[in-house]
Parts: sequence; structure tokens; C-alpha cells
Amino acid sequence: MTEITPSFFNRELSWLEFNQRVLNEACNRDLPLLERMKFLAITAANMDEFYMVRVGGLKIIASQGVTSLDPAGMTPTEQLEAIRKRVRQMVDDQYACFHEIEERLADASLRRLRPDQLSERQRHTTEHIFDSEVFSVLTPMAVRAEDPFPLLMNQMLHLAVQLAGPEDNPEAYRYAVIPLGKVLGRRVTLSTDRGHVYMLLEDLAIAFLERFFPQEQILASAAFRITRNADFTLRDDLAFDLVTDMQGILNARKHGDCVRLEVSHSATPELIAFLKQRLEIAYDDVFIVPGPVDLAGFMSMGDVAGFDSLRYEAWPPQTSPRIDPGTSMFRTIASGDLLLYHPYESFEPVLRLIEEAADDPDVLAIKQILYRTSRKSPIVAALARAAQKGKYVTVILELKARFDEARNIEWATNLEEAGVQVIYGVKGLKTHAKVCVIVRRESHGIQRYVHFGTGNYNEMTARIYSDASLLTCNEELGADAVAFFNAITGYSQPQRFQKIEAAPLGLRGKLLEMIDAEGQYAKQQQDAFLYAKLNSLVDPELIQALYAASQAGVKIALNIRGICCLRPGVPGLSENITVISVIDRFLEHARVFHFHHGGDDRVWISSADWMPRNLDRRIELLVPVEDFDCRGRLMNILQTYFRDNVKAFKLKTDGSYERVGARRKRQVRSQQELYLEVCKAVKEAEQSRQTTFQPHRAGGND
Amino acid sequence: MSAKPSETTPVESSGPIRTVAVIDMGTASIRLAVAEILPNGSVRKLESLSQAVNLGRDTFTRGAISTETTEDCVQVLRSYRKILREYQIDRPEQVRVVATSAVREASNSLAFIDRIYIGTGFPVEPLEPAEVNHLTYLTIQPLLKAEPALGEVETLVMEVGGGSTELLAIRGANVVFSETYRLGSLRLRETLEALHAPVVKVRKMMEQQIERTIDDMAASIPRDNLIELVGVGGDVRFAARKLIAEWDSTRIARLPIKALEQLTDKILGQTTDQLVRKQRLSYPEAETLGPALLAYVLLAKRLELKQLLVTNVSLRDGLLIELAAGDTITEEFSNQIIRSATDLGRKFQFDEVHATHVAKLAGDLFHQLQAEHMLSPRTEVILRVAALLHEVGLYISQRSYHKHSLYLIRNSDMFGLSRRDLLLAALVARYHRRASPQPSHEGYNTLDRDQRVTVQKLAAILRLADALDESRSQRIKEIKCQRDEDRLIITVPQVEDVSLEQLTLRAYGSLFEETFGLSVLLRIAPG
Repeated sequence: MTEITPSFFNRELSWLEFNQRVLNEACNRDLPLLERMKFLAITAANMDEFYMVRVGGLKIIASQGVTSLDPAGMTPTEQLEAIRKRVRQMVDDQYACFHEIEERLADASLRRLRPDQLSERQRHTTEHIFDSEVFSVLTPMAVRAEDPFPLLMNQMLHLAVQLAGPEDNPEAYRYAVIPLGKVLGRRVTLSTDRGHVYMLLEDLAIAFLERFFPQEQILASAAFRITRNADFTLRDDLAFDLVTDMQGILNARKHGDCVRLEVSHSATPELIAFLKQRLEIAYDDVFIVPGPVDLAGFMSMGDVAGFDSLRYEAWPPQTSPRIDPGTSMFRTIASGDLLLYHPYESFEPVLRLIEEAADDPDVLAIKQILYRTSRKSPIVAALARAAQKGKYVTVILELKARFDEARNIEWATNLEEAGVQVIYGVKGLKTHAKVCVIVRRESHGIQRYVHFGTGNYNEMTARIYSDASLLTCNEELGADAVAFFNAITGYSQPQRFQKIEAAPLGLRGKLLEMIDAEGQYAKQQQDAFLYAKLNSLVDPELIQALYAASQAGVKIALNIRGICCLRPGVPGLSENITVISVIDRFLEHARVFHFHHGGDDRVWISSADWMPRNLDRRIELLVPVEDFDCRGRLMNILQTYFRDNVKAFKLKTDGSYERVGARRKRQVRSQQELYLEVCKAVKEAEQSRQTTFQPHRAGGND
Repeated sequence: MSAKPSETTPVESSGPIRTVAVIDMGTASIRLAVAEILPNGSVRKLESLSQAVNLGRDTFTRGAISTETTEDCVQVLRSYRKILREYQIDRPEQVRVVATSAVREASNSLAFIDRIYIGTGFPVEPLEPAEVNHLTYLTIQPLLKAEPALGEVETLVMEVGGGSTELLAIRGANVVFSETYRLGSLRLRETLEALHAPVVKVRKMMEQQIERTIDDMAASIPRDNLIELVGVGGDVRFAARKLIAEWDSTRIARLPIKALEQLTDKILGQTTDQLVRKQRLSYPEAETLGPALLAYVLLAKRLELKQLLVTNVSLRDGLLIELAAGDTITEEFSNQIIRSATDLGRKFQFDEVHATHVAKLAGDLFHQLQAEHMLSPRTEVILRVAALLHEVGLYISQRSYHKHSLYLIRNSDMFGLSRRDLLLAALVARYHRRASPQPSHEGYNTLDRDQRVTVQKLAAILRLADALDESRSQRIKEIKCQRDEDRLIITVPQVEDVSLEQLTLRAYGSLFEETFGLSVLLRIAPG
């Protein structure tokens, strides 16, 4: 068979490349150690989800004999094969990285102790901890050959113990499993003279293992963990494309099969064979790891008290110079559209707008979508307060697992009790748009204030995700936002929007139209280019449109943090397309698009990635930014990323990524540039304020 | 940063801004528009909502609205009620709920309206064809003004509904004619479905059916001028959006008939299911689309037109304009009505000079006696129509001619007047002489109290005006009314002697006295 290079990259392999880029940051010796550990933990957590959903889904399909090809021309079995190969390498790299970081952390007095490294005093402390807190919580389960294997929790750490057989036949090993549970923390802090030392829970349990098995001979023990297939009826959002292949299969198939086994390298061959056989898992899916199982558990290391020199310097969010804490947000927005770019600029004004709305006597109604927010969210409190004050508050609440959680979420019930109309999502679609509308009666009539965002209304993630916020009281955008709510809450059939586009209605069509229009300009020998920043590019139709535009001569620069199935730089197909990916301290999350449109630059922000699930199965928004200043600023922000030569990777035609690297003299780290720009703007505003004197006057003396 | 942002803190404004809503229960959907009426009378639309219902399908297939559809309507209106509450729209005068042919023509129309009232508290007003035409006129006027090219030609406004087709011909600001035809997209579909015609033949049969109505239409359309055909309604709006990618819906779209015909063929070739899936239409919308578009295409072709103009305005815009105008009606519109009343008078060979003069005097009296009658300014046009036509009954016979006037007026079509208004005008004309209104009188006995009072007051004024031209010489041209205790003194300048008029007043003026408690005295203005 002749090798034809497919036009698309496989999405799973592309995702693995993304995880590799994060791993590269973990391995990057220029970074502070605790940040490196966090990046490493992220790669592990990412991998857990990947196995559960993506590998799990592919396995189901493959086991049912589905041989249909993905856009990259691979069968499910071929994909699984390629994934395994790539993952093995990555796991090796993760652990090499882990040991290297750990060594350096030890030099910095942050040490993990193995049982044989304890001092007498520490030995005493651990014994005390084991007796008082661990022993009573953990319950070993004997696993006899004739009994069914105990049900092990997905992704929970366990100990497997190999015991000698009866005296007359010591080779007839017996086995036991101890779930380590979720009650106890993974790291147990111990006292020390200098720095910080800790022991892992599994090591602590192993150190005192004989207490669980009095009069038994323990031959070996090892920590292990299994990953099960996701429940696709709840996780279909993450495996949308796979689920469509699974119709009918799903019902027939029992969920929860074990798709991965990770065992500590301390396990004996017998122990491994035992687990493998009883968990019915293929050798290919067993990972014997040279270090602690579950590196995601090291995420919290980043929060160890002290050690600030091992972290990034703080970049506290700045207050946009457009915002005066003494002026109401309504007035600020009425004086002109406001663009905030988080987390460089604080998310606080958005919260303040909603809080002011809750207390403002002229506000009639508030409508808001909440996606993955927290109980403690000040927004939730403000919305409840608004409803209590007699305003009409509508909240569309999107929960991770709709059916179980909806009933159990106490704060949502509290919202309802306060009089908020709570809508638990829209049937068949995940509500991913981020929008809030405030309807206010003013002297010149009803005014609508709208916040459109690319990130969730979550003040915690707003500190680490890069996202854009547009605050406006533009007439058409206000009308559109209200019409959008009427449509998704079922008050109206979808009406035509004046400016925005929504998925699954016209969003895909609009993007195609804009891409196509760029191609038309190119064909007419006009300047034609487009820039887009997004998290994932998977959708075959949009990729084909981009190829067509490239062939027409449109210059296309894409900034895609994660998966990119588009193959750039192929002569005759995509030679005008370049793809970069920026991985740095803030998670790149904003979706921003800039189409040159014959000189009439069109700039949009969006909640949607260019993936089939976003365009067809989610409620998403595409919002034009038309205000001259806001639009210009977003265009600059987009460009800043394309100038990055420190944290940017470039996607090569073969699907691998390489660092852009600083060929020029000046190093450009886009996130730092963006932060410094914001700081500079704030400083300039302060200085200009200082040169204008604003005396306090008694009222009416102006 | 030194410039102060504009003031946005709410303050008491000089003129009140009214927040209002109109709900239109049509063939395929119930639509809600929420708007603000600014102090200068302009309308700012805030929200537009639409929900699909099967009113048309029920009425035009079964003749009646089913319980299921009725309850659907109740649900829709209840959900709209919630939206209205958000805007603090809670007073009856802030909302108008109207229904068109699907409700009006249902055999259980009254029961339906009652159920809606009980279920939602909304009083539904079924609109008559004449009112629909009037509303269409109101909405189309601003567009005609905005497109000077249309000022030159005759504009034919066409709306193909589920049950009927409205046609309105406008030249300049004048309505040349208006007519309602029993050609409806749903009616068509139902007729053909009842015949179980094979799909390939459906289009042909539909065409034949439509052509029959178009023959009627073509006969009434004056062809002495250039014609532009303007389509209104959801079906043509859909076509405009399909054919013109970036239609700025505040403007008129021009659809080439060729392209429209191709689109129509494509749509007629698809099943309702396909249309719903591919075009994102609701089922009721999908059912009407094909036949409606075909009707526009066929009329355009009959008139040998190259394009169909489409506007984005709807019945709701007309209702909002009416709400904005409040009780007043535009002078332009009032002139339209007077024009068509005059046309009717001519048909019955009335004494145009006398009639016109009485109408003028009646109008003057109406204005000067505002403090006495306290009627809404809107009723003036009813008085003037009655004054113009009070003697048309003479065409039939001298004997009891006022009664002939009653039924002639009552049974005519007059642009801009609803059936109800027409009855009021007919009754006012009837009572310009002889008996005072009696509860037993035919027609009068169908009125509610407000309407009865209106008729009585207007008839009293008409008698006064008629008496003032008893000489039929139009010698009393100007009048000045003045109230003096329990007398109304009407001063007339430059007349030597008013004894004839005074005599007539005494004979006919008792109604006035009964009504207003004032005796009338004519006085000659001192030289």
C-alpha cells in the first residue's frame, strides 16, 4: 500500500502532543521547581482523563469490530496501538522528570522520605499516625481464587499484598487488596529540623503492613491503581465523536471495564500476574511505574507553605484603567464598551457588576448562565439576593453530571428558594456559552447591560485562565443576548440575531462564511488573512474551509493550545497556514478570531472551540467586538502571541511541535508581555490622574 | 479620564416612557413584541418572541380549534406573561392581544377566547380583515416614505396568510383599494391533502387553485400605473433571508422573481419534515411556506413583474404604532377613511356639497365640545363618516331613509374602519333624525354601554351639524360654541337670520338636550 499523507492529524495523537508540551514545561529547568511539579501533575491528571474517556471509548469501539477510519485514516485499533506506543514513552519521561524534580526539591529541603529513611523520632511519629489515623480507616480485603474480585474504585490508590501460603505449601500465595480511600491525604507531613519532609500514604501503610496481617508472612506489596472506562452516558460531551460510533453498542456493553493498570515497580512478577489476571487486563495496558503511582496527587505540592522562591513571582491581577472603584459599573459601561483580558486584568469588575445589579433598585431582571461554578461563588450569593429583592432572576445552571448533581446541589436549591428561576441545562445540549444580561430601567428607557465571556463565572479559575470579557450596553448586543436567553429557556423559538451567532444554530455557518469571505478577498488579489486563537481545532468541515482559504491565498495564523487536527505547511493544501501553541503559567483559554475582511477588520470572541461537539452539541456564542478600542486591543493581544519566542511551540507538517525559539535578539514571552502592557496602562492612567486635580466640591457647585 | 462619563443614573424624565407589549396569535405561531414608546411617539422594540402553535391547521382543516391547541396557547401566553412581568407590564392598557383569521374563523372562536381569558387573563381581540389591512397600511407607510422610488408607483402590498390573502394598493399616501381573498396557504394545503393528490401533481393543482384567485385579484388591480409588489409576512421574510445573505432587515429587500421561483420549487419539493430539519423552521411554519411563496410568485408573474419587494415589518409593528398613537389616529389615516367614505357616498349619489359641509361642521362641533362629550379623539372619524353618509339611504327611498343609511353603511367595505366602527358610524347616521336610540333597536342592541353612549353623543352632535345646514346653502361657515349655565350658545358670524336653523334645532335638538343636558341657542355674532 502506498503511503498517502492524510490531510488531518489524529486527534488523540495530537492531544498527546499537547500533553507532551505541558510535560516539556515540567522538564524545563528554567522554571521554579514547584511550578514544574504542578505541570507534571497536570500531565498526569490529563492522562487519567484521556484514558478514561478517549482510550476507553476507542477500546469499546475496537472491541466491537468497528473499523471505520478517522479523518487521519486510522482504524480504532491502529489508533490504540499508536496511543500505547506514545504513552509508554511519555510515562517514562514523566517519571524521569519526577525524579529529577524530586532530587532538586530535596536539595531545596523539600524531601519525600521512604520508610527506611526515617529518623528514630520520625519513625515514632509515623507509628503514632498509623495507629491513630490510618489503621482504623483502612480495610484489607482478602482475595481468594474462588471469590469474585472486589470492586475497586476508579483511579483510587490501592495496595496489593502478596502473602505466603500455608506452611505446608508456601508457594500457594495468597493475596489481599487494601483500598487507600479518599479520607486520608496522600502526603503525610513529618517533623524535621530543616525545610519540609513528608511521606506518602502508601509508604506509611507499607511500613506498618504487618499490623494488618498478624502472623502472616508478607512477601511483597505494591501500590496500584486502575482506570475504568467512563460512563459514556454521562461523559458523552468529552467523547461526542466516539459516542456517535457507539450507538447501540453502549447499551449492550457493561461500563467500567478496566482500561489501564498502573503498578509500582516494587511489585513482584507474581503480584503483577495476579492483578493482571483478576482485573482481566491485557499486558499492553499494564504500566509498571518507576516511582509513586498517581503523579496527579502531587498537584497539591505546589501549595506547600513557604518555599516561595520555588514558585513564579506573583502577577497580581490589575484593575483596568477604565475602571474607577468609585464609579458604578453601569456608568462605566455606559461610557463605552469595556474589554477585560484576564487574568492580567482582574475579574472583579464582572463580579461587581452583578453585585451592583443585585442591589440596584432600577434593575428589573438578571439572566445568567453558570457553568461549573462553586458554592462559595459570590455571584451565586448576589443572584439570590437580587431575587429576594424582587428582581426576575433566571439562571441556567450547567452541571458536570446533570442528573445526579442537580438534586444534590444544595446551593442551587437555595437559589430556587430565593425565587431564582433555575434551569438545569438544556436537554441534549451542554450550555457552554458565558453570558449575563442585566435589564435596567433608566431615564431614557430600558437599558441592557451584557457581559460576554470566554471563561466561566468562576473567580478562582479567572486567576489562572487567560480569558476575555466584553462588557457592553450596545443596543443590538443587548437585544441579541435577551433573545438568546428566550431561545434557550424555551420562551421563544430562536429568533434571528442581529450581531451574535449561537451554536448549534448559526455559529458554524458564520465561521464558514467568514473563512470563505477571506478566500474571496484573496481571489480578488486583496489582502486576506485571518488569525484565530482557540483551544482545539478538530472539526473537519472548518479545517477543510481553512485549507480552501489557504489555497486561495489567505494567510492564516492559528494559535491553538491543545488539539490541532489541521496539518499546516503542506504545499498545495495548507502552505499558507501556520500553527503555534503557547504553554505558560496561565492556561490559554480565550477564543479570539480576527478576520481581515478586506480591511474592515472583524474581531470576535467566543466560548466555542472548533470541534464538532462544540458546534453541534453545545450552546455556544460567537460575539463580535466592534468598539474601535476594544477591537484594536484584542487584535494586539492576538499578535502578541504570534510574536512569542519563549513559550510558543510551532506545529510542523509532520505533526510534531518544536519551540519557536528566539532567533531575534529580543525574547518575547507573550504572557509576560501582556502582563507588562496591562501594568503599564494602569501606571499611565495613574500618572495622568495625578496631573489633573479633582477638588472635592460640595454638591451642586460644579 | 478627566471627561465625565455620560449620566446614566435614572432620573425622573420629563416625558413618560411607556413600556408596552403586543401579542399576535397567528396561523402558525404566537408572537410577542415588547417595546418602549418614547415621549416623541417613536417605538423602540425591546424583545421579539415566537412560539409555534397549530391554530391555522386546526381551523382550516377541522373548522375549530382543538382543546390541545387551546391549551398550548394558554401555555405560551402564560410564559409570555412572565416576560411581561420582567418589564413590569401589568396594566391592561399596556398590552394588546390580537388574533387573526385562524382564531376569527374558528367555529369555536368565542369559547377559545373565553378559555384564553380564564387561563391567562389576556383578552384576545380577533382582528377583522379591514383592521389587518389598516395595520398593514400603518406599517408600510414609513417604508414607502423611506423609499422615494415607491412614492412614484402604485404599491401593491400582499400578505398570504394561512386562511386568507390581504391585498392593499397604495398610491402615494392613498389607499386605492383593499381586499381580502380566501386564498390561504394552509387552506390550499388542506384542500390538496384531502384530494390525496400524488406529489408530482400537487404543484400543478396548487397552481390552478391560486390562479383562480389571481384572476380575481388581477381584475381589481388598476393597471394604469407602474406597479411594485411588496410581500409581508414570515414566509417572504424567510425567502428574503435565503436569497439575500446580508439583508439589512430595516430596509426593503428586492427578490428577483426567477430566484424566488427556484427557491419555491425547491421548497415545494421537500417534505415538511425535511424543511423543519434543514431550514430550522417550526412545523406550522414549514407547512405554509411552499404554498405561500407560490402565490407571490404567481401574482408577480401575472403582473409581469421582475422582482418582489420584501419588508421586515409585521402586524406587530402596526399594533405598536397604534399603541404609540394612543387614541389619536394619524391625520393621514383619517383622510384615507374620509376618502373612502366619500367614494361610497358618490356610489349612492349623495349631495356631496351638503354632506361635506355637515361633516365639517360636525368636526368643528366635536372639537369645541370636547369638554362636554369627553370622547376619545379617535371617534371623530366615526362622526365624520356618519356625517358624510347620513343621507345615502335616500338612494333607496325617501321613506325612513335614515334606516336605509344604516344598512347601506353597515354593509359596505370601507378602508380603515373595523366592522364595529362601521356599525357605530351607521348607527350615528341612522339617529341623525327621528327616534332617539332605543335599546330595542336593531344593531344598537348589540353594543356595550360605552359604545351606546358614543353613538348617542355623536348622533346628537350630528343632528346639530345637520340643522346648521338646513338651508343647504352652506351659509353657516364658522361657528363658535360657548357654554352658559345650562345653555349651549352657538355664535355664527356674517349671517343675517338664523330662524330656519333655530327652528330645525328645536325640532331635532331634543336628543342633544337629552344627552348633554344643554339647550341650544343660535346667536348671530355682532357685526
